Amino acid sequence: MLTDREIISTLEMLENENLDVRTVTLGINLLDCAGSSISHVKDKIYSKIAQLAQNLVPECDRIGQKYGIPVVNKRIAVSPIAVVGAALSSSQQVEISKALNAVAQEVNVDFIGGFSALVQKGIARGDRALIEAIPHALAATERVCASVNVATTRAGINMDAVLLMGQTIKKTAGLTADKDGIGCAKLCVFANIPQDIPFMAGAYLGIGEADAVINLGVSGPGVVKKAIDRALESKPDMDLGQISELIKKTAYKVTRVGELIGREVADNLKIPFGVVDLSLAPTPHVGDSVGEIFQSLGLLSIGVPGTTAALALLNDAVKKGGAFASSRVGGLSGAFIPVSEDLNISEAVRNGYIGLDKLEAITSVCSVGLDMVAIPGDTSEDSISAIIADEMAIGVINNKTTATRLIPVPGKAAGENAVFGGLLGQSTILPVNNGQGQNHFIRHGGLIPAPIQSLTN
Amino acid sequence: MNKAILSVLGHDRPGIVAAVTGILFNLNCNIENVSQTILQTEFSGSFIVMMPPGLSLDDLHERFIENLTPGDLHVHIEPLLKKEAVPTTRESEPFVITTKGPDRRGLVAGISEIIAGHGVNITNLQAVFKGGDDPGDNIMIYEVDIPIDIDQQKLYRDLRAKAKSLTLNISIQHRNIFETINRI
Repeated sequence: MLTDREIISTLEMLENENLDVRTVTLGINLLDCAGSSISHVKDKIYSKIAQLAQNLVPECDRIGQKYGIPVVNKRIAVSPIAVVGAALSSSQQVEISKALNAVAQEVNVDFIGGFSALVQKGIARGDRALIEAIPHALAATERVCASVNVATTRAGINMDAVLLMGQTIKKTAGLTADKDGIGCAKLCVFANIPQDIPFMAGAYLGIGEADAVINLGVSGPGVVKKAIDRALESKPDMDLGQISELIKKTAYKVTRVGELIGREVADNLKIPFGVVDLSLAPTPHVGDSVGEIFQSLGLLSIGVPGTTAALALLNDAVKKGGAFASSRVGGLSGAFIPVSEDLNISEAVRNGYIGLDKLEAITSVCSVGLDMVAIPGDTSEDSISAIIADEMAIGVINNKTTATRLIPVPGKAAGENAVFGGLLGQSTILPVNNGQGQNHFIRHGGLIPAPIQSLTN
Repeated sequence: MNKAILSVLGHDRPGIVAAVTGILFNLNCNIENVSQTILQTEFSGSFIVMMPPGLSLDDLHERFIENLTPGDLHVHIEPLLKKEAVPTTRESEPFVITTKGPDRRGLVAGISEIIAGHGVNITNLQAVFKGGDDPGDNIMIYEVDIPIDIDQQKLYRDLRAKAKSLTLNISIQHRNIFETINRI
């Protein structure tokens, strides 16, 4: 017999605290679609995805209804297209992106990720063609997401790729200038990219993964915030150890939801279950914000002194709760801080509580990086590349995933507002030091070597 | 060996269970099942017992009348008859139906009528009506077994329509979600 308390607290999480399954992402291996004929590759990709993903959306909706938990997004992640289309030219890769977009529309998924390349140590022919194709692909499609991994702790940082990505971001923004450079919102640059992220824009299916796999992303910043608020209301003198414990238990509950739904979707589709990615992923709605958690913890706003320590506590507690709840935790699993997508963080930027420097600092303890950060449209490709390089260094040295999703907003300057719409939100544009200038350090190119793994001081 | 089911009702206070079970012990009855709860200020308990040979239901009842204190407790005793083999129950899945909304007469009757009309069995019902318009003060929680061969969508539609007519918010969820979230 269930207790009324168990039932009412669960309903509260669902009805008033925005607990949901943020995404069920079907990973599909496309390596058997590789070839040198563009029409052959396109056809094989289309038919394989259409066949494997045809029941994804109805099944997610059915299971969402069964448990009373909405599966907000249904997505697909495919093998890196740079590998699948290694024999193709840049313009042919753009054709592949259109085929991916078309099949995503047919099976009614929100996004399809995997227009990706892994170039941490060197750039192969297919990788270069794909990176060249990214601006056109993101401008020509709506649902395709791209990611490029330019660094790992084992390989170091490929600075040639970093510069190439600075240039690519700039071009992508230019080709989607009419929508404030929205193409860049679908492009992530990574260090240490996990192979099983269900969240966009970084989702792709790793080379070491099965033929098809269901990964699932749960969210719930509102649940964590309300749990902290309730606990502090009844016991205002809780210390941070006790608050950490509370967040851990809450993360446990949220992860369990994900595991239940993910396994059932996987079973019903007869596809292996992969991982639950427990990430506090905000949306631009009040009550679904990571930024609000900082205020519940006692800070004036995200960005003021104490933010890094608070985020470290939050991120660690979320990981611990998730790891206890499921033996299949993966992806990014931690707190996201996407500026424009989080109403509260966006407000903090507008009010001057947080800038690019502090954002970069806190990425050393969060699960991703400089995410959905709008910068002036005239920021040079050198400066964009340099921001990427700094972020990659944090990931590589600290043996963690970091990423950038930077949006140089064409025709707009620092302090102006960039509007991306929907879940992508809006943000005040942040200034960049020496934003328009050259950067000779970046232009040296080459590889920043892999770091020593001892003498860690 | 005969079985009996006893129900005990009365104003709650310490010692009721001890009084009932003490009498049963002295009569060599073996308790097989107990379910006890308190509704507001009132005690309600059900006991299934195995009676020793030679003890009749009338004897049992008489002993309770004589010995059960305090005297305002009401005891009802029935024989537990051996039923014919129960036909195989329909395959079903456990769901939880929860409603919140302003108190008024006919809420339980309205919702349970729909549940019954679809051949769904209620396995546990908790309801609290403190009155007033605060939805959180007026909650019904039905644990039900929904046969897998019924038209679930129609059940959902009928329940939602009835809830709407009673100005109730209704949630219908598989029981596993509550166990998964709350229990290790």
